[in-house]
Amino acid sequence: MSEVIYGGKCKSCGTVSYPRRAVCANCRNESFDRIEIGGEGKVLTYTDVYALAIDYETRYLRLAIVELDDGIRVTGQLLDDDPKLGKRVKSTIGVVREPGDKPIMGLQFVPV
Amino acid sequence: MKPVYIAGAGMTKFGRAEWSLIRLASEASRSALHHADLGEIPVDGVVVANMGAARVNKQTALGSALVDQLALYPAMAEAVENGPASGASAFKVGCQAIASGMADVVLVTGVERMRTVNGLEGTDFVASLSHPEAEYIYGVTLPSLAGMFARLFMDRFGVERKHLAMVAIKNHENATKNPYAHIQQTVTMEGILTLPEAAVNNPPIAAPLHMFDCCPVSDGAASLVLVSEDVAAKLGGPKVRVAGIGQATDTHAVHEREDPTDLKAVRIASEKAFGMAGATPSDVDVVELHDAFTILEIAESEAAGFFPRGEGHLALERGETALDGKLPINPSGGLKAKGHPVGATGVAQLVELVWQLRGEADERQVQNAKTAYACNFGGFGNNVVATVLRREG
Repeated sequence: MSEVIYGGKCKSCGTVSYPRRAVCANCRNESFDRIEIGGEGKVLTYTDVYALAIDYETRYLRLAIVELDDGIRVTGQLLDDDPKLGKRVKSTIGVVREPGDKPIMGLQFVPV
Repeated sequence: MKPVYIAGAGMTKFGRAEWSLIRLASEASRSALHHADLGEIPVDGVVVANMGAARVNKQTALGSALVDQLALYPAMAEAVENGPASGASAFKVGCQAIASGMADVVLVTGVERMRTVNGLEGTDFVASLSHPEAEYIYGVTLPSLAGMFARLFMDRFGVERKHLAMVAIKNHENATKNPYAHIQQTVTMEGILTLPEAAVNNPPIAAPLHMFDCCPVSDGAASLVLVSEDVAAKLGGPKVRVAGIGQATDTHAVHEREDPTDLKAVRIASEKAFGMAGATPSDVDVVELHDAFTILEIAESEAAGFFPRGEGHLALERGETALDGKLPINPSGGLKAKGHPVGATGVAQLVELVWQLRGEADERQVQNAKTAYACNFGGFGNNVVATVLRREG
């Protein structure tokens, strides 16, 4: 069970891929340093989704795309009762899905 | 490349099917083959489009299964899976077989039977196209990607919920003129937006998108018969030529796109299709767009080049995309009201356009349609196929 979410920082041009990929989309280099993804940022967009997939017993999920201060964008769960576009948030790691008895850890965002 | 013509088109009524998956595919195929009226000319190849049968219907190798149903042996056959763009991808594969000279007659059939599983399972099977580590694990589903896209797009371009409702109202109205459409019911602005009971009738699905912004879950099949120039010359009936096909991809995770409101793959695929056709968006008389969510009809109408960026909702408001407007969009009712059996959709869009170009669309006929365009939007915009069809003669 991972407590850290990783991206890949291209060893050649420094571009961060999140999610990680085999080849850098900027310079086509194939080697990366693993870097931790997270920190503070702002809500780029969000939704309350009621059309849920399997593994959830809640009525809806609040999901967001967050632009972190280092420019990396991520998709995660937004734990905020008063969401707004552009609002400052910071990342935490929590259980984002529980298929069977195997919890999956991922990015969650709370107001700063 | 050799020219490719579409000699026949057919489909089943979309909705909740009593038939098996392969019966659906077989009925649509028979209808298209009768429409083409090939006589003694043999079918050389079969391409089936489908997304979920391996998981939802526990059936694979659908190309072989359909050949057997239709007794088309020894025709070559395969199935194509490309998410919600499976239909137009299979069509492209069929066109390539004829354009390369490998085949003279190819049957392309898209089919999906997804109402056999419950809603959660159905939503999950489609959500499996999202990025497994960066999207899916968070509970991302297609409606959630559309909801996040809609909020950003609406904020940036001044699109309001009333504009989304206008798409739904138009497409539901068009679907009442289409006997193959899943939903045969008109909706009103009052009923889905402005009256107090609209909050109950039209609950949120992925805010700001509500139920009437989302396509239904449908079963169904659609089929086309593609032929070479030689075969087309032997057959009677109007000639519909495949003028251009374009396909483009984009990042798997939506958040990685430089501007997440820019449907770049739609733009590039459309430019390629128009380039191949030697045409421009202003030449087009009738359009089928991939309105799995109302916001997508507006956004795609811009990205495909029909309206300037940020002005698709204004053209809609002016009635330009209505059945009697300057550029009718989704005369079939679109995914919104005709329904969205995922693997069948890309083929069904082209079935409608073939009928339109042949003047066979009855009550929803766009007068004198000569050039048609379709956008089949796969993933959440990470794999798009655009097609331009033209009537000859």
